[in-house]
Amino acid sequence: MSQAQVTIPYRQADGPQGKKEPARMKFYIDVKRCIECGGCEVACKNENNVPPGIARIRVVTINEGEPGETNVAIPCMHCSKAPCVAVCPVDALFHRPDGIVALNKETCIGCGYCLYACPFGAPQFPKGSPFGSRGVMDKCTYCAGGPEVAFSERERRLYGSNRIAEGKLPACASVCATKALIAGDAEEVANVVRQRVAARGAGGGAWGWDAAYGKGF
Amino acid sequence: MAGLANVFGYGAMTNHQNDIRNSRSIMIIGMNPAENHPISMQHILTAKETNRAVIISVDPRFTKTSAFANKYVRIRSGTDVAFVYGLINIILAKGWEDKQFVQDRTYGFEEFKGEIAKYDPKTVSDITGVPVAELEWVAKAMADNRPGTVIWAMGGTQHSHGTGIVRTFCHLQMVLGNMGKPGGGTDVFRGHDSIQGVTDIGGGPETLPGYYGIGETAWKHWAKVWDVPYEWLLSRFKNKTMMEKPGFTVARWYEGVLLDSKQLGQDVNIKAVMFWGHSTNSMQQMDRVKKALEKVELIVDVDPYVTNTAVLPDRKDGIYLLPAASNYEQWNSSVNTNRDNQYRQRVVAPVWEARTDIAIMVDLAERFGFRKQFTHNMKGGWRGIPKDVKGVKEFSQQTMDDVLREINAGALSIGYAGATPERLKRQQEWAHVFDIKTKKAVGGPVDGESWGLPWPCWTDKHPGTPILYRNDIPASEGGCGFRASWGPKAPDGRNLMAAEGSAPPGGPNAGYPAQKDYATDLTLGAIKQALAEGRSPYGNGRARFNSWNIPDPLPIHREPIHSPRPDLIVKWPTYDDVKEHYRVPQPYKSMQKADWVKKYPMILTTGRVVEFEGGAAGERNSPWLVELNPEMYVEMHPKVAHDHGLRHGDMCWIETPEDMDAKPSRIQVKVKVTKRVGPDTVFLPIHWGGVFEGKSLAHKFPDGTVPYAIGESANTVTTYGYDRLTQMQETKTTLCRIVKA
Repeated sequence: MSQAQVTIPYRQADGPQGKKEPARMKFYIDVKRCIECGGCEVACKNENNVPPGIARIRVVTINEGEPGETNVAIPCMHCSKAPCVAVCPVDALFHRPDGIVALNKETCIGCGYCLYACPFGAPQFPKGSPFGSRGVMDKCTYCAGGPEVAFSERERRLYGSNRIAEGKLPACASVCATKALIAGDAEEVANVVRQRVAARGAGGGAWGWDAAYGKGF
Repeated sequence: MAGLANVFGYGAMTNHQNDIRNSRSIMIIGMNPAENHPISMQHILTAKETNRAVIISVDPRFTKTSAFANKYVRIRSGTDVAFVYGLINIILAKGWEDKQFVQDRTYGFEEFKGEIAKYDPKTVSDITGVPVAELEWVAKAMADNRPGTVIWAMGGTQHSHGTGIVRTFCHLQMVLGNMGKPGGGTDVFRGHDSIQGVTDIGGGPETLPGYYGIGETAWKHWAKVWDVPYEWLLSRFKNKTMMEKPGFTVARWYEGVLLDSKQLGQDVNIKAVMFWGHSTNSMQQMDRVKKALEKVELIVDVDPYVTNTAVLPDRKDGIYLLPAASNYEQWNSSVNTNRDNQYRQRVVAPVWEARTDIAIMVDLAERFGFRKQFTHNMKGGWRGIPKDVKGVKEFSQQTMDDVLREINAGALSIGYAGATPERLKRQQEWAHVFDIKTKKAVGGPVDGESWGLPWPCWTDKHPGTPILYRNDIPASEGGCGFRASWGPKAPDGRNLMAAEGSAPPGGPNAGYPAQKDYATDLTLGAIKQALAEGRSPYGNGRARFNSWNIPDPLPIHREPIHSPRPDLIVKWPTYDDVKEHYRVPQPYKSMQKADWVKKYPMILTTGRVVEFEGGAAGERNSPWLVELNPEMYVEMHPKVAHDHGLRHGDMCWIETPEDMDAKPSRIQVKVKVTKRVGPDTVFLPIHWGGVFEGKSLAHKFPDGTVPYAIGESANTVTTYGYDRLTQMQETKTTLCRIVKA
């Protein structure tokens, strides 16, 4: 199936050229809110039937048990200039029109270049061996399935569910207890973040603010 | 719950979780909502962001919640009374108390002040391990940022003087004038699905549904609701004394099996035990639970999963597992920690051989020969039940609605009358019109209603009471004073009615007693009359600093039964031994030994983790959850681990005092080295089961039912210690030693 036929979400308002623009799907992880409950990880596994050992999203905690303890959920960030897409020798990774970095599992040769390129550790491989055979890569699909007929058995087996085609948000963001993990069109996500930052005042919870400008207001 | 009820009148969270969005300070003490109530963190963090609310986390452990606090205070486990009294001591010394509130709405402040004087910051610092400067910081933060809420859970209650601890939390809020207003309150978070509802319908052994007690009046009231003769109910018991005598509690039922029957408050030992959705690995002294399970004649376990109960005892027969349907397979309504009623639709019909709880109950009633009385009430019979119920998996939705109507009809003391199935279903349809901050509906057919019709919801026109004891709105809109539960005057002759000018508007502008018969007039006439006259049906009384009718009228600090401070045991000893409490002897002083600490130098505390709940029979059967938290472990400070020659991932034995048995209780667990705990404390999560004293019980599960994760139960090593009033188990504080495995 060609990429153009993928079901993608569009923005409501008309764009500059007077025609509807595709949404630009993004994740945002609010480190001032993530409590490491693991809800996103479980929802992802349940939704997409992800096998043990593969983490399409994981919550990382730094400074555990000490002041400054911070959690951050890390799925595939679906980068605009995605290093994985740039290095993939067989173009198994590609951008959908809505910005989601999609994967064609039948093209993937399991070389692992994307694993080295990705700053977030998103690409997952089902096996490891002394001679480098890793199997076909697996990663967060933004709950948008893959390049197959939407809702087909084949899509479900290879990639998991396709909530985007159903008009829903990814499972992880849908269940987030504290709304730390937000997903959706970049404009909507930016609105939510802007409101939170404004409410929080100076620094707005930006990572490293205290170190750069000192504590307190 | 008993602590709250004895101060304010109702044993429930006073405000609601959404209301925390209105708070300007939030003291989280003895609780870890980031793990145990993750959704509530949404409200707590919103308050932090939008109100700049100060979050204070008080805990022996730097929890995931502490990571979000503006101030973390490490306290020695079980010293909460002293800590809070220290705060109040500072508040009173600085004159920060809400004098108007104390004068108008409380009772017993004078003698309370006398007690507080004993807890100067230096003394408190010695008991709790909290530096004086931190006490002062917290007291000032709470005083400067009002309204503020105090939130706690099992860390406050699971102590041998837990009721006292809970009451001091209430007293702090009374002194600060934080009660009965948005953003304030005493917000105890209940720990399970519908646990508030279970308490409300008489889950405890000392009361019938609706906290009526189990005296003759209570039985007669419910006999009328159930439309059965009182004499018939009486005939089911040995005699009237036994009918009115509180039974065993979940905390110590096993002593009813193990002790000599002469020591018990009844003639014979317990012969059979039935678990209905309860785990044994959440019961303290599980090694004794095991012995009891081996001694009883019959064990019945009603659960969707094969639980720890089924494999714990060494016995070959006499265990029956009844597969129960999950909540997704049955219509039901629940009451959550906010006192919110919620209707829940069935998602699928019961699968496999599972049966709904009510089908199992009615089938049992049929076999015991009282089905007619069981399914009958003053409004007629429960509809939708077939003539022959043997093997029937579920009844119609109508049956569940009729059960709820029966509760509506009878539980008037706590205002269940208004939460009818019709209104709950309508709220479900209109969920989108409720405001997130106030829980109040805007427009639509539910206009003005509060989400979940939180009790007291006096009539089917009443909007519910999202915030208890709020006297700035009329009674018909959910306003009320403190409950006038103890009459117009205390035994010492002092007034128990609220002061002039302190009452919900629209009625008498002063205190008043409860409407006569409001809890027993099944026509609702009494309730309606009170509301029509602008009065709260349960009266307008005072909150009590001095609860003269329970042990420790003024709460005092008492060292845990297993205390690491022999010097403090002398000064702040536990209670005198009690001959009989809930039908079993309950020793205190004779169990509190100063020299335990020599053999067992570490404080042991227990708690929950986010992946699991309670005994976790369900959760440990989920591959996704088990992957996140696969193994039982003990949290240990690096210094402790290194002093014992242990490294992260090593195995060790945790051993606890041989207080009831000849030898120490012990479990073998993996070491997790972390600074979450201080160098004096180790922490065990409670959820595992299926391994006992180092030996796997996996072979005892029926084929194909071994959970993905089994492990040692923390409660194998928790020791003796039970609350003086409620008999709640003291799982949060004991002593242990660490032995390299």
